[in-house]
Amino acid sequence: MFLSVKGLSKSFGELDVLKTINITIDEGNIITIIGPSGSGKTTLLRCLNALEIPDEGVLAFHDGFEIAFGNKLKKKKLMELSRKAGMVFQSYNLFPHKTALQNVTEGPLIVQNRNKNEVLELAESLLHKVGLADKMNLYPHQLSGGQQQRVGIARALAIEPELMLFDEPTSALDPELVGDVLKVIKDLAKEGWTMVIVTHELKFAEQVSDSIIFMDQGQIIEQGPPSQVLKHPKHERTSQFIQRVVNP
Amino acid sequence: MEHWQRSLKSGLVKMFLNNIVFAVTGDMTGWELFKNSLLPMIQGGIKYTIPLTLISFAIGIVIALLTALMRLAKTKILTVPARVYVSAIRGTPLLVQLFIIFFGLGSIGLTIDPFPSAIIAFSLNVGAYGSEIIRASIASIPKGQWEAAQTIGMSYSQSLRRIILPQATRVSIPPLSNTFISLVKDTSLASLILVTELFRKAQEIAARTYDFMLLYVEAAILYWVICFVLSIIQDQIENRLNRYVAR
Repeated sequence: MFLSVKGLSKSFGELDVLKTINITIDEGNIITIIGPSGSGKTTLLRCLNALEIPDEGVLAFHDGFEIAFGNKLKKKKLMELSRKAGMVFQSYNLFPHKTALQNVTEGPLIVQNRNKNEVLELAESLLHKVGLADKMNLYPHQLSGGQQQRVGIARALAIEPELMLFDEPTSALDPELVGDVLKVIKDLAKEGWTMVIVTHELKFAEQVSDSIIFMDQGQIIEQGPPSQVLKHPKHERTSQFIQRVVNP
Repeated sequence: MEHWQRSLKSGLVKMFLNNIVFAVTGDMTGWELFKNSLLPMIQGGIKYTIPLTLISFAIGIVIALLTALMRLAKTKILTVPARVYVSAIRGTPLLVQLFIIFFGLGSIGLTIDPFPSAIIAFSLNVGAYGSEIIRASIASIPKGQWEAAQTIGMSYSQSLRRIILPQATRVSIPPLSNTFISLVKDTSLASLILVTELFRKAQEIAARTYDFMLLYVEAAILYWVICFVLSIIQDQIENRLNRYVAR
């Protein structure tokens, strides 16, 4: 067990976005979360990284780090949680005033205070890995969406997180740019990263996932291997959703 | 051209300048008065107008940044004093503030010299107006930038310093330049609390020569020149900060 999520709940005002979510994530597992918009999948992902603070629930990590929501939490503890995971955003959120290389070095250099040469070497190798070795000194606005998203992935990897979170990493991309980004994520999967991915790309989910979670209205409706959830869903709502995505 | 033609022509030009554009004052022509008063006015500008502007602006920006951060904080202990300060400064005339600090405080035993009085008043003004500009530019930076900074482990102050403020600065340069240029002109109010800056010099010479039109237009031209130079500097800063923005 790498991470166990117990009884996670979150509401925005009257609206219950997450209703008592329980999941276990094993080391090296790739979990994909699918579901209609407004189902709470992005909120769930953001709760794993302290970008959203749940109202209730417990996150327990393999190393004994545990965080129980509900009462007031220390900032330090939340920062520790957010440092455990690297996050890739739907809209990339690159720092526009920094080059691709500076975007990647910012975390290890400024936050982790690591040796400059070591960080440069790390950043260069990460940008090489995502296929942008020749774009290192360009600013985000000089890159295509797919390239920006790959810088985003390199930036998240640079802090050497234990867990990688992807929030619809290809939703904002032109169709012809989706492939490059998905390929990078597939490579990470082969390296054994533990990942949680929110996506609409069912074919991709089928290829990389160890487990797929289908969410609707703040609840986990169904969870299982891709062969089950995508091909032989047990629930009516799951098959309806898959039908709609496949044949819009 | 014959010699007499040339001298007639230059004589006519001189007459035109002396009698039509500038009135003749005593035994000094308008042009001479213009030239002779230029030096004292420029001296007033260099000794007082420009230092007053630069020092007040520097202090004012620090006050503005702190006030903006207080306004953006989540506790009332910080937001309320910031709001009251901004409201009070923006709601009262600068001239009245200057008089309170110089004459008012002086009359209750707290005497401050003219120059520091002016610095205090102008700094407080820049602080109030600038804080609204800085607050709005910080608020204009997308929430995703804060979130991205947080996910790479940055604290609030690291995010602010490294990610948010550099971007907010670019947004705030045009409106802050407005504040700066207004400040250059507002320093002329310091003449009323006896700071011998550019406009005070113009007033002093005008009082002696009665040549109000000439001297006040001359003062206006000098302010215009200063502001013109400043707007060129503003353009250059903007171009520099825009280098990472798609065009």
